[in-house]
Amino acid sequence: MVEREFFVMLHGAYPKVPYAPKRGSNFVDLPNGVYDKAEGQRVLERQASTFVSLEELGFDGGVVSEQHNGPIGLLGNPMIMGAYVAAQTRSIKIGVVGPIINDYLTPVRMAEEYAALDNLSRGRLLLGLPMGHGMQYHSIGMINPATARARYREAHDLFVKALTHEGPFEWFGEYFQIPYVNLWPRPLQEAPDILILGGGSPETLELVARHRYGYQQVGAFSQAAMKKTTDRLRELCEAQGYSVSPRQIWGLVSVHVAETDAQARLEAEAHSLWNSQNFFLSPFNDNFPPGYLSQAAMRGVLGGGYRSESSEKNTFERSVDSGTLIVGSPLTVSTRLAEFLATLAPGRVLLDFGLDSKPEWLGRKTMQLFAEEVMPQLRNGGVPVSQHRKLPGYESRSEYGATRNPDSPEPVVNLGTGGLINVETSHIASERLIVEPWRA
Amino acid sequence: MADPVAEVPSWRFQRAPDRLVVDDVEVALRRDGAGETVLFLHGVGFLRQWLPFHAALTERVDLIAPEHPGFGDTPLPGGFRGFLDYVLHYDALLALLQADRLHLVGHGLGARLAAHMATVYPSRFASLTLIAPSGLRQEQEPLIDLFRMTYDALHAAQFNGREAAYADTYALKGFPQDTLDDVADAVPHALLTWTNRFDRRLERRLHRIQCPTLVIAPEQDRIGGTTAAARYAELVPGSALVTPAGPGGDPSSYAVLIEQPAEVAALVADHVDSTTKGN
Repeated sequence: MVEREFFVMLHGAYPKVPYAPKRGSNFVDLPNGVYDKAEGQRVLERQASTFVSLEELGFDGGVVSEQHNGPIGLLGNPMIMGAYVAAQTRSIKIGVVGPIINDYLTPVRMAEEYAALDNLSRGRLLLGLPMGHGMQYHSIGMINPATARARYREAHDLFVKALTHEGPFEWFGEYFQIPYVNLWPRPLQEAPDILILGGGSPETLELVARHRYGYQQVGAFSQAAMKKTTDRLRELCEAQGYSVSPRQIWGLVSVHVAETDAQARLEAEAHSLWNSQNFFLSPFNDNFPPGYLSQAAMRGVLGGGYRSESSEKNTFERSVDSGTLIVGSPLTVSTRLAEFLATLAPGRVLLDFGLDSKPEWLGRKTMQLFAEEVMPQLRNGGVPVSQHRKLPGYESRSEYGATRNPDSPEPVVNLGTGGLINVETSHIASERLIVEPWRA
Repeated sequence: MADPVAEVPSWRFQRAPDRLVVDDVEVALRRDGAGETVLFLHGVGFLRQWLPFHAALTERVDLIAPEHPGFGDTPLPGGFRGFLDYVLHYDALLALLQADRLHLVGHGLGARLAAHMATVYPSRFASLTLIAPSGLRQEQEPLIDLFRMTYDALHAAQFNGREAAYADTYALKGFPQDTLDDVADAVPHALLTWTNRFDRRLERRLHRIQCPTLVIAPEQDRIGGTTAAARYAELVPGSALVTPAGPGGDPSSYAVLIEQPAEVAALVADHVDSTTKGN
């Protein structure tokens, strides 16, 4: 059986909002007067506790995203949730997909945040580098979409170099001019584990292939569409001179499990449509601010590609028939998910349980059924890959003592006694020994 | 710039542009008429055409009507970032055309660009005419967010709801090519204005303009806003403000030069004449 990883998408959407078709969309300018503080706290706490529970349930990790200006998600910076989860868990991967690099004045700041969180999580950080929804460009106030792609590409290159190269080095680009890029702290992972979420644009697929990143298509209307994109990625990787790794292929699928097929539909139908009619609904001009897509990609959209059709028109049957939604008993879900896995051959599966509008108990029920009844059918022994590996960094103070570099400089100080002494032993009178002559 | 894959059918006011290479940019440009030379800077929309307004002006002036880099059939150079790039581009274009004495006219976004040019070169132009200029506002006027409008809504706003009668000025090639063209033209529009909706720098510089300036303010400009033209008139020294009445008693619109081409062309030409004949 293939060693496969299972992740859970945690949108953290705020569900108690007006019916989106009444106003066309709840993105961008839904007045925050409808925001209830108690409800918002519940949403954030639920997102956090669900993320932490993934470890106990046996998933490999969770994924949270950066959202702005509306109920689609309440994390302006998903690193914050990542830090919380890092403190509460030991082994699961922590997916933050944001952060949106164009939201930063400098990618060096993002690299610093990434590196700090990578240390605090013991190298468990999984990073997304999204362009951000088109809708976000209307509200974040920093990015001109006309130059966003070019800025993104340069920011990406600088970000990755800052993480993976020793500093200081200079960076004089079109968008960033930095005499000394010199990252402190440095991340634990030798190379960042990067997942790119995209709508299938050729530019993004080429970037993924070139850097051997993971790729997850979003907004696809069918398994067949996802397969087509995945096949294209395989070709691009071959063109780069290597075969795509299973870990590069992500498979996103919405799932709901209940005791029987009929019960599963009863539990899932309204919530699935809530997502289509409220969560995803957004008009063309909000989706695609000027320059957000290339002309070639836009031609594809107008011909039936990413977000080319209003999500409001989606039906439960269509989602099930297209394979983007799998609903049923554990046996049904296992069978259909096995077919999905056979079609796409993803090394990493991103499961969307549509938790946002479901009562918390219902979300926990379906996730527990999936963990106990479905995942074991799809993975040897039911043990997550994340529990197999030795994490980067040290496990204990003993290991720290064994692995730290003995040649690192000691912290020293000049007390005016004719030389530098080691401050770590300065509290012991007999150890105030001059370790190096110094006259100043 | 237009998608090169597209076929090029004909439309009512189609007129193939001349080509002029300006600093490696192949500019699409139309020119006709005789008399005082007028550089007309277009606004958002109504590109790829020689409209009745253009034709009416050529009866009295030598009209140069280029398409800005990134708009219509002129490509967008990679290094363009803001208004100064466009100002310098037009400086180079005018040098190529050896147009030393010149009148400047702009519509909408093009009027804003014309105002930028006149602040950078305050003694260069014999006159300035701003038609439904955008980019300024008086306090408290709500933003008109053109980038969130559907194209149908945009056309309605351009004509104050009378757009159906003028579809042949914006529906040129059919779907999807018209949409692709609109999307492409929106890129340089965003480049100039997305993070610069209201132009604080221009506001501070307008006092530099020295040439006689006429501001043509529609009665109801649903694109530039109802207070933009008045704000320009307030800040440009000695400028005159004129408000043409709309058709059939309805308020004149952003598309005043399409709905009332002869009247607006006459206002422009009269202003040009007023600065050249001492009257």
